[in-house]
Formats: sequence, structure tokens, C-alpha cells
Amino acid sequence: MSERERARRRVATGLLLGSGLGWAGLLAAPDHALLLAFCRGDGGAWSWPSLRILLDAAPLAPLAAHWALMLAAMMLPTLVSPLMHVHQRSFRQRRPRAFVLFLTGYIAVWMLAGVLLTLVHLSTNAALSPSASPPLWPALVAAAVALVWQCSPAKQRCLNRSHTHRALAAFGRAADRDALAFGLEHALWCVGSCWALMLVPMLMAHGHLAAMLVVTAVMVAERLDAPAPLRWRLRGLGTAIRLLTARARHARSRLLRLPRHSGAFKTASRA
Amino acid sequence: MATYVRSNAWNDDGTFDNPDLYWYAKGVAAMMARPLNDRNSWWFFAAIHAEYLPGTPNAQPGFPGWQAIPPVPAVPVAPLPAQSDMDTFWDQCQHQSWYFAPWHRGYLIALEEQIRQAVIALGGPATWALPYWNYLGTGTQYEIPPAFTQATLPDGTPNPLLVTARYGPQNDGDIYIPIPPVSGKCMTNTVYTGSNSATPRPGFGGPKTGFSHAGNVSGNLESNPHNQVHVDVGGNAPDGSIYGLMSDPGIAALDPIFYLHHANIDRMWAQWNANGNVNPATSDWLLGPAGSGGRPFVVPLPGGTPWTYTPQDVDDLGKLDYTYDDLTTAAKAAPSDALAVRLQKLGAPAMTAQTPESAAPGTARDTAAGSELVGTHDGALQIKTSGARAQVRLDAAVGARLTDSLKSASLESPPDRTYLQLENVQGTQDAQKLQVYVNEQLAGTVALFGLRRACMGDQAHGGSGLSFELDITGVIDSLYVENALEAGTLDVKILPANAVSADAPLTVGRVSVYREQHR
Repeated sequence: MSERERARRRVATGLLLGSGLGWAGLLAAPDHALLLAFCRGDGGAWSWPSLRILLDAAPLAPLAAHWALMLAAMMLPTLVSPLMHVHQRSFRQRRPRAFVLFLTGYIAVWMLAGVLLTLVHLSTNAALSPSASPPLWPALVAAAVALVWQCSPAKQRCLNRSHTHRALAAFGRAADRDALAFGLEHALWCVGSCWALMLVPMLMAHGHLAAMLVVTAVMVAERLDAPAPLRWRLRGLGTAIRLLTARARHARSRLLRLPRHSGAFKTASRA
Repeated sequence: MATYVRSNAWNDDGTFDNPDLYWYAKGVAAMMARPLNDRNSWWFFAAIHAEYLPGTPNAQPGFPGWQAIPPVPAVPVAPLPAQSDMDTFWDQCQHQSWYFAPWHRGYLIALEEQIRQAVIALGGPATWALPYWNYLGTGTQYEIPPAFTQATLPDGTPNPLLVTARYGPQNDGDIYIPIPPVSGKCMTNTVYTGSNSATPRPGFGGPKTGFSHAGNVSGNLESNPHNQVHVDVGGNAPDGSIYGLMSDPGIAALDPIFYLHHANIDRMWAQWNANGNVNPATSDWLLGPAGSGGRPFVVPLPGGTPWTYTPQDVDDLGKLDYTYDDLTTAAKAAPSDALAVRLQKLGAPAMTAQTPESAAPGTARDTAAGSELVGTHDGALQIKTSGARAQVRLDAAVGARLTDSLKSASLESPPDRTYLQLENVQGTQDAQKLQVYVNEQLAGTVALFGLRRACMGDQAHGGSGLSFELDITGVIDSLYVENALEAGTLDVKILPANAVSADAPLTVGRVSVYREQHR
């Protein structure tokens, strides 16, 4: 394994560990699907609190903590490439500091975005009619919006910009400023790319975590695709399926010790 | 013996007396007569490499848009093929990647099959094979074979090998390869991906990547001679209004000399293997990007049948029933014992043991143990026609680690390698070379082939520009011996080969120096 691959693996391992902690936190407190709990009565029936009452009743700290756990679980696996850029372009002794600054900028933007997305979520629930069980349509509407956004050229532009890695200063305050600015800039394009997908699990009354897992897979997969021209097309899902299929094929080959395919040329052209 | 043998284009003085060139011209003419949307046409094949066609996301308002290319050849821009054909076949070329060599080998094979079918239909030899242009060969081979500059074929028909937009290194239409800076130095490398004392990173074949239509840093074979030859052949028009087809990946494969250049690059890879060097053996490389869920390599064979291939399918020419005329006769590149030479220069104790490069071919390995930044010139640097200058400030602690490594160098403790990086280079003129000096010592020359595409925000590269890495190990060793590293800064001078106009600015995002430790 090359030196660069080893470094990449270390960065990826750290991020996956952080993501795992996020998932563990969410699993440990599933009904800290606080966002849902705040909108329901104890008996599971929908309540009617106004947005203000909801916010009064919902302490900000647990809301923020839940959002941070979601971020850690879902977004950290997407940060291998930009953090490798920070790793490669920083002095070794400054790497931890640069990582912290990048993540500070990145998380700050996402926390602000979280305020907006949470408001959308709370106000949607506040507007719902009372019923015995929460309705499906908010999640379906969110999924429809996410699908349109996912296929749009605007989404591709955000993804393309997520691949852009700026030059970073290496010395002194300029280095700190650049690492922070890179985190802010990367997060802005990341929010632009992912906001609609993030809303889907938030608005799901059931299967919240399962939906988060699917969305995470799509977000990781779409970042593995190279930047592309702007046009309408479905992105992310196909790559995720191809990746999973390739992994399954490799695993099967290893298990059954199948030979790798070869020699397609002679049969294709000279049969 | 293989059925198909690729031979030197300079046989019979590189004229149409060489039947390989004559029949190549006839085959090219046949392919050029087919429409753009025909999978078997010259134009379709050029677009497989890359394109700037109107009606596609790569369209350009003026040159290098295909509609603005001056004839000859008269390049068609319609009818476009079906979207599915464009998605499957077009814009595939692999650059700045360890797939550079195998992707281009499959691409050449497919083009050659097309030409051969046309040659056979015209009554030519059934075993016709693509000739190669060995610009690193003896005598006048550094010049383009004369067959590419004649107006007509022996039968009086127009010569399809002649191209208007081909201007050469002096921008005057004289097409030749300046040696140096073009060289075959990469042939002394001993690892495909990685580095050791005989191989600067990222290695002979390039860095590990996924599907890489435009990447970041070129491998050593790709960097020189490949990129350099592209820019030298293409050049700029005398009035500077456009550049030559070969200078830009999006138009390069329209020029028939492209395939002879790549046949030579392919020959160098085959020769490197024949010298005992080995290709990657990991499934990531053998199975290509498709093996891990990425886009597959697909080219059309005669009749339009898609051929999907992997590096494993083309990593040995014998599998394809091909060979080159000179692989058996070429002198085996004797591995220069780079480590021994360095140790002597650095004043290390005399060696009695065998150095790694003296080991049997094929056993060389990537010995890099770590890499770190040593110093930078922070801030963007604008390169003007007169050049640019930067003071690279070295971090005291890392600089000390570097000099310690050089001071204590031995066979057991190999000295660090050092690299100069031009990061995030941005511009639109591919037909440009930069000479880079460190403390007035020439560190190397880089060719900006692919720069325009790398700077297009909504294309395969994402707009980060290109980065170039020069091996400055020898320069740093000299500065160490002269105690010149103690100053704590390096003076870097960058000189462009061609004028830089105000409306096509050229910038370097950062200049940096890295050390690389070895086991």
C-alpha cells in the first residue's frame, strides 16, 4: 500500500469512527427523534402546538445535539477527499489544527442550515391536522422535492463545486484562515447539494433511521462520481447500486475463488 | 510471432514509400468519409478521446469548439449520435491516472482494427498495423515523418494526414520534438505506481485513481514524453489566435499524428515491461474503474460492436496478438544505480552491499514511507511573458528533518526525495510549457496539456486546475552539499516558453516543496 493510500485510510478510518459514534448516539436515543417527539402527544396522537410553543417546549440544546448527531452520522463519510486535501497541503505539525478549523467551518454552516431545516420540519408538523397516526404525505412531498433536486443541473453544480479544492496557505494565520474558509466554502456547496435529501428522513414518521442510512449511501456515492456537465439526470442512486454490486461480486469471487475475467478482445473482434 | 507487428514510421524515410504510412493514410481517408454519428468514423473516434462539439455540454463558443477548427480536415459537427452512444463512448480518455497507459492501449487497438478493415477493403495487407513515431530515436527521427506534411498522396488525392492546425514548438509550422527537454528518462523507473530511489512519484504509470477523464498529477511516462510531445506538435498559430489540435485533449485525436505518438507511448510501456518491470497486480487496477462500480472502458470495433475492456485485458500485448518490431532488439535499460550515485554525492560511507536497484528486475517496490510539506510560497503567482519568481520559505523544523536525512544517508537509511509542486495551475492555453528553476538550477519543464479542461468548472475536473510535481532531489542534494539550504528559502523562477496574453492569464495557486521519506 502506498504512503498516500495509508494516509487516506487513516483519515477515512477517523471519519468512519466519528460517523459510527453519530449512529450509536442516534440508536441509543431513538426517540430523541426529538423532532418527532415534540410534535406528538404522549399517547402518540398529534398535538397542535404553535411553532412558538413548540420551540418553547423544545429545548434548543437537545435539538442541536440531535442535529449534530445526524450530521456526524451522515456527513462525515463524505469528507475524505477535502480532509485529504487539508492533510496533504498542511505542515505535519499543523494538520490537527487545520482539521479542526476545517471542521469548525463545515459544522458551523451545517448547524445554521439545521436551524432552517428544523423550522421547516416543525412548521410542517405544526400545520398538520390531528390524527391518530402521523400522515405519510409530508415525507412523500419531501421525497418528491428531493428527487427533482437530485436530478437537476443545480444539484450537479453543487456537486462539482464540492470537488473544487482551493490552494491553502501553509504558514501562520493565513493557514488558519484558509483551512476555516475551505470548511465554510465546502459546507455551503454541501448544503446546496444535500438539503433536500436531508429533509426526507426528518419528515418521516417511521423508519427515520433506515431512511437516513439510504440517504447517506446516496450522498457518499454521488461524491465518488467525477464532476460532470450540468444536465437533468438521476445521480447517486445508480452509483450506489453499482458500488454495492461490485462489492458483492468481489466478495463472491473471493469466497468461491473464481478467476477474474479476461481476453474479451479476441472473442469480440475476431470471432 | 504475433500476427500484428507495429513498426517504425521512419522506415523508408518516413515517406509514403513506407507502406504502413501509405495504407494508414488510405484508412484515415475512409474513416473521415463517414459521418460524425457513425461509430466507425474518424470523428466519432476523436470524440471518444474527448470533444468540444456544439450541442454537447462541452461546447465552446469559439476555438477550440469543433465548429471553429480551420480545415484541413473539415471537421463535421453534425449529426450528433444518439445520447446513449455519447454517454457510452465519448469523453473517456484517462489522464493523470494509473489507467492512462491501458486505456490508451485499448483505444489504439480499436482504431487500428477500424483502419485495418478499411485497408483490407481497399486491397491492402491483412496484417497492417499502426506505425509508431519514435521521436526519441536516432538521426532525424525527432522530426515529424514527411508523409504528414505532404499535400497529396502518390496517387494525387489529398493527403488526409495533413492538418492545418499543427504549428510545432516554435509556432512556425516546423514540426519537431526538442530533445531535451523531451526525454525517455521515465524508462529508468522501476515501479508503476509509487516511488523508490530510481523512481520519482507518482511512478512510471501514474497515481492510483478511479475513472479519471481529467485528474491532478500525471505519471512519469505521461508527463514526459507524452504531455510534452502533445504541446510541441500542436504549438500555437503564428498570430497566436488559436493553438494546434495536438495541444488540447478535446481536439487532439482529430490529428492523425496523435495515434502514431500514442503508439510510441504504448511501445515505451511495452518496452518497460520487456525490461522486467511489472504492472500493478491489485484488482483495483486489473479490473479498471468498472471493477469497483465506476464507468467502464468501451470502444467500438468494426461494425460498431462495443468492446468493453479492462487493464487486465490489455496489460500484455501478447494477449492481443500484437508486438513491436524493436522490443526484442532494444537494449535493455540498465538500471542506473541512483541510490549509489546519491550516496556518493552526499558523502555517505562507501558501500559494499547491493543497492535496491541492483536487484533482479521485477522485484523493485514502492519504498516511500511518508511525505510532508517542507515549505511554500503562499498566495497565487501570476505568470507573465517575462516569467514569475517566488521565494519558497522552508519550515525550520521540517527543513531540519530533511537535512538530517541527507546528513545521515546510508544504504540502510536512504535519504529523502524532494519534490517541487506547482499547485492549482489555472489558465486556458494548453500550448504552453513552463521551465522551472530552483536557485538558478533547472529543475525541469512541464507541459500544460489538458489545462483548459482542468479549469472548466462544470466538467470532469471540477475546475481545480492542474498540479505539476517536479523531482528536485538532485537540485536539493546539490544545495545541501553547498550548504545553501541553511538560508531557509528557495528561489523559484518560472519561465513560460510562449507569450502569456492578458486575456488568457496563467496563475499558480501555490508553490510548495515536499520531502518524501524512504525505507
